[in-house]
Amino acid sequence: MTPLRLSRPRTRVAALGVVLCAAAALIWQLHVRQIEAALVRADPDQAVAAPTLVNFALDRAPALYRRHCASCHGRDLRGNHTLGTPDLSDAIWLFGLGDLPDIENTLDYGIRSGHPKSHNITDMPGFGRIGQLSAAEIQDVVEYVYAFSHADANPEAVRRGRPLFMDKGSCYDCHGQDATGNVDYGSPDLTGHSGWLYGGDRQTLFQSVYDGRHGLCPAWITQLSAAQIRELAIFLYITARRAPHAPTGAAGAT
Amino acid sequence: MSVLSPEPAAAGTAMDFTRVHTRRSLVLLAIGAITGIAIAGYGLFTAKGTRVHGVPPEAIALVNQRPILRSDFITQVQTQYSVRFGETTPAQRRQVLDDMIDEEIMIQRGLEVDLPSFDPDVRSTLVAGVELQLFADVLAQKPTAAQLQTYYDAHRAKYVRDGVMRLRDLVAAVSPQRPLADARRDALAAVAALRQGATLDNVLAQFNLADSRRLLDSGHVDQGDVFDFAARAHLDAAVFAAARVLTTGQISDPVAAADGVHVVVMVKRVAPAQRGFAEVSNEVWRDVTEDAKHRVRVNNLKYLRSKADIQVAAP
Repeated sequence: MTPLRLSRPRTRVAALGVVLCAAAALIWQLHVRQIEAALVRADPDQAVAAPTLVNFALDRAPALYRRHCASCHGRDLRGNHTLGTPDLSDAIWLFGLGDLPDIENTLDYGIRSGHPKSHNITDMPGFGRIGQLSAAEIQDVVEYVYAFSHADANPEAVRRGRPLFMDKGSCYDCHGQDATGNVDYGSPDLTGHSGWLYGGDRQTLFQSVYDGRHGLCPAWITQLSAAQIRELAIFLYITARRAPHAPTGAAGAT
Repeated sequence: MSVLSPEPAAAGTAMDFTRVHTRRSLVLLAIGAITGIAIAGYGLFTAKGTRVHGVPPEAIALVNQRPILRSDFITQVQTQYSVRFGETTPAQRRQVLDDMIDEEIMIQRGLEVDLPSFDPDVRSTLVAGVELQLFADVLAQKPTAAQLQTYYDAHRAKYVRDGVMRLRDLVAAVSPQRPLADARRDALAAVAALRQGATLDNVLAQFNLADSRRLLDSGHVDQGDVFDFAARAHLDAAVFAAARVLTTGQISDPVAAADGVHVVVMVKRVAPAQRGFAEVSNEVWRDVTEDAKHRVRVNNLKYLRSKADIQVAAP
């Protein structure tokens, strides 16, 4: 076997190359750290208005999304009816108004994640399970809700369902008298204009009311850095604002 | 002198890896050491919880090295003033931050004086908080209809409607004046008389039987309906076993017990009944969830106990 021999000049060049590469990697890391720090320190409005920070976040967030979020929300961000995970590609938000801090807060602490700071003040009760409504009453409530988005609803059942929605079922308490939901409670719009978490057919609606729902999102604060969470938040914020009918301006969907 | 300067010809050049080269070894050692120190230093000064002089980017303040998170601060400002963060004034932000710092100081003080060790409210809140975290996954899972049916089939005995009995438990007491054989004879005679239609009062007087007074209500013999579980708790085991198979109007055979020979008169009986799945599906749902929570709790406690240093004195 021929022994490895390099001439002195080539040795020096190689050594210099190694040193330069190491220095470049170090400088790059410091640069990235600096931008991450700036990204995290920036006020929300500044973070989404500064092209450098936004571009930095948008470069890095898709990989984070694919790794941590896509398994539930889908690679196309469109959610999953089976899991009840919401569509993240639109400008409709369950909790908050879609401002950066709202998104960031949900990412940090999750939804019913077990973290005490998560969104957990409400839960969709199983009205059939707890015996608050009978199966027949639930069918009427479902028909009332179904009628918001379908023309073929049974008018008699709708008539019976309305007082149940407004009174005995207490549905209005979370979903509002106009059934458009409440972003403080994370109660979804039932008029069908914002899509459905689990599906808007009669059978799925019945199951939702009878058995209840308990959607869950993990608290990422224990697994992702503050910079990564902000990168994801900016990614979702920008995606939502690019969606059709999204609110305009950098100030947030207020 | 350069570290890359050539060795004597006999030793070869630094890049001649077929020969031992002292300077090359020293250079590689130095590079390795510097790289190691750099990596360690980087990790040390960027890891979470590192003691630092400056406030890390994700924090808005440090209180005794404990961070108050910027994201929490923003949320708190928005919640407190009901406006977007960008619309709040510096004074408002300062107020919120001061409050959060005060709270953090109080929390740290609470830990310092070991509040959880003696304040029952703090202890129960901590336990509830930990349990809530443990149960998060359980609560998120909604059992399917098939799972509920499986659970019901495996636990059918849990879904039996308890029977109800209204009875009189009579006893021919054993005493020095009436040995067991005499008591048994009297009980047999009483059973025969009752089965022939004699009234209870007459039988009690004629054969010297008395109410066992095992079933009492406010000190008086309970002549009302009693659930099976209550009867089981109060009656002698053998007497209850004889009673539960009787139907309304039946008289039991004499049953020997510690205090004498008993005769049960079943005035009214509603036997236990299996409840159908449709009727109890909500209870099954609740039980499935509770069982899952129990398992999670037990498993977690088992794990935590395995890690804990527990020393127990003889109880």
